[in-house]
Amino acid sequence: MERNITHIALFAALIAVLGLVPKIDLISGVPITAQSLGIMLCGTVLGARRGALAVLLFLGLVAAGLPLLSGGRGGLGVFAGPSVGYLVGFPIAAFVAGLVVERWKVSIGIASFAGAVLGGIVVMHIFGIIGMSIMLGKSLTEAAMLAVPFIAGDLLKSGLAAGITRGLARARPASVLSRN
Amino acid sequence: MLTLTSPVETPLHHWPAGAKLLLVAAGTMVIFALPDWRWGLGALALIAAGYLALGQDFARTGLRLLRPLWPFLLVLAVWHLWLQEPGRGVLLASRMFAAVALANLVTMTTRLDAMMAVIQRLLTPLARFGLRPEVVALSIALVIRFVPVLLDKATQLRQSWRARSPKTAAASIILPLAVLALDDADHVAEALRARGGL
Amino acid sequence: MDSGIILDQVGFSVQGKVILHEMSLSLTGRRIAIIGRNGSGKTTLLRLMAGLMAPTSGTVRVAGLDPAAERKAMLRSIGILFQNPDHQIIFPTVEEELAFGLRQMGMTAKEAGARVLAMLRAEGRAHWASAPVSSLSQGQRQWLCLMAVLLMEPETLLLDEPFAALDLPTQARLQRRMSQLDQRVVTISHDPATVIDCDHVVWIENGRVAAEGVPAEVLPAFKDEMDRLGLRDADTDLAG
Repeated sequence: MERNITHIALFAALIAVLGLVPKIDLISGVPITAQSLGIMLCGTVLGARRGALAVLLFLGLVAAGLPLLSGGRGGLGVFAGPSVGYLVGFPIAAFVAGLVVERWKVSIGIASFAGAVLGGIVVMHIFGIIGMSIMLGKSLTEAAMLAVPFIAGDLLKSGLAAGITRGLARARPASVLSRN
Repeated sequence: MLTLTSPVETPLHHWPAGAKLLLVAAGTMVIFALPDWRWGLGALALIAAGYLALGQDFARTGLRLLRPLWPFLLVLAVWHLWLQEPGRGVLLASRMFAAVALANLVTMTTRLDAMMAVIQRLLTPLARFGLRPEVVALSIALVIRFVPVLLDKATQLRQSWRARSPKTAAASIILPLAVLALDDADHVAEALRARGGL
Repeated sequence: MDSGIILDQVGFSVQGKVILHEMSLSLTGRRIAIIGRNGSGKTTLLRLMAGLMAPTSGTVRVAGLDPAAERKAMLRSIGILFQNPDHQIIFPTVEEELAFGLRQMGMTAKEAGARVLAMLRAEGRAHWASAPVSSLSQGQRQWLCLMAVLLMEPETLLLDEPFAALDLPTQARLQRRMSQLDQRVVTISHDPATVIDCDHVVWIENGRVAAEGVPAEVLPAFKDEMDRLGLRDADTDLAG
């Protein structure tokens, strides 16, 4: 019980830290915002339910006024803006990513990649695009065009999430709750 | 950890958080029902006047919080100038800024613990599903405690990288950071159990 | 050995709080110690020397160059070892961690791999190559960090109390290893017993140089002051 709580809280903190650190390079010279990677990892490492709770905890603190979104953003304003769809999609993305890793009994690297793509890309962008469509007064196809440039980077991030999850499974097998 | 609440006291700081949230919810619904760009700009002007009435520094900070919206403003500007629908563009843009600025008013005038109290109150019906309020409170406290701790460790890992490479730190440092997060989680769980557990 | 580490009126403040007051130091000896209490500014001083941070005033020169600006050149001049190996080791396996610095200096994967293997063999640890770091003990991990830095063959080694948390036999082993090194070594310590053999001791107190000189001059005064402070009952000052 205590372990569940602390893992959820620490990973919520990790999402924040991945948004607060200065830019990290995906590969040399290509900077990424690592926060969406944190969302993917909540799912792939903690599993569906705990992963989603970690993200919800994170969002609750952002809503309460802590500047934890990348770039030091936070507060209720971010939920009133065009990216609200993505914020709504975050916990669902983590849930789906976690579900794939929990249910699909292949190697954790492959399952994590699939989970990250399905949850962190497909689900997240579906919600994000719907959100932008409503808030910016555009059709779904038009809003989708705004999301497309980010997909390539997100695919690389999914690979990264898979590698990190696999590394964690080796370094701390008992702590990868999605497979325990 | 620093929050987005404005340290400069305004009359709004003393209003109850719940009331402010309801007003903002109502205001946002109105904003999204506005019919054309004149109304949109009017609403925006009204909100801007509200900010200025609360103080110049306050208004300047409020403006700063709107900066992350500029890419969307750019998209709308280019889109609607190209489609020759400038009126609609102005409506959409002013709607966007008005809604965000209104919501930010609550954040800037409400202390963290007051917002936490509201969130906890909203979560109480979930207690029957096992979401105990003490657990929620503890989780919040743990996140606030550990963000600076993990941030510090991230900085040290970046320094360890910088000590051996002239380039910006790569994503390789995320794995050891995640390991540290998992270890911290285990240590705190142990500490909790040692003090009676949950 | 190179021209040494020269600090000229170097100060460091963060958000208005002064961590180091303007200080000038000329460190050219072979074994240099920086002593002081926790919070005195010794760690900040070391990081300024390593170029991991830039001073808010004054200049730092290592072998004539500014370490914060000339990062590439510094890889050959300075190696730094921190206190906690878990906050330093980036890669999951021993050989990856060891090869990292060499790759960053321009070696190919093959060259770096060969160097790493040769070193491990010389140390009787060839079987460590593909081992996961998590399977090493804390002392072994600190050894790994030391080796990762030494492989880059820096001219100066900066040590931030690297052995404080290790057990006595491990400390003795690593100290012995350190004493065999050719390069200049600058060590931070809060224990005067570990720095008796140094050429030059710098005592930092409250962000200033309280005293510097040979151990025989500085250490007795330092010990007296530490005893005096230890007799006081409370440590109530807040750092922030």
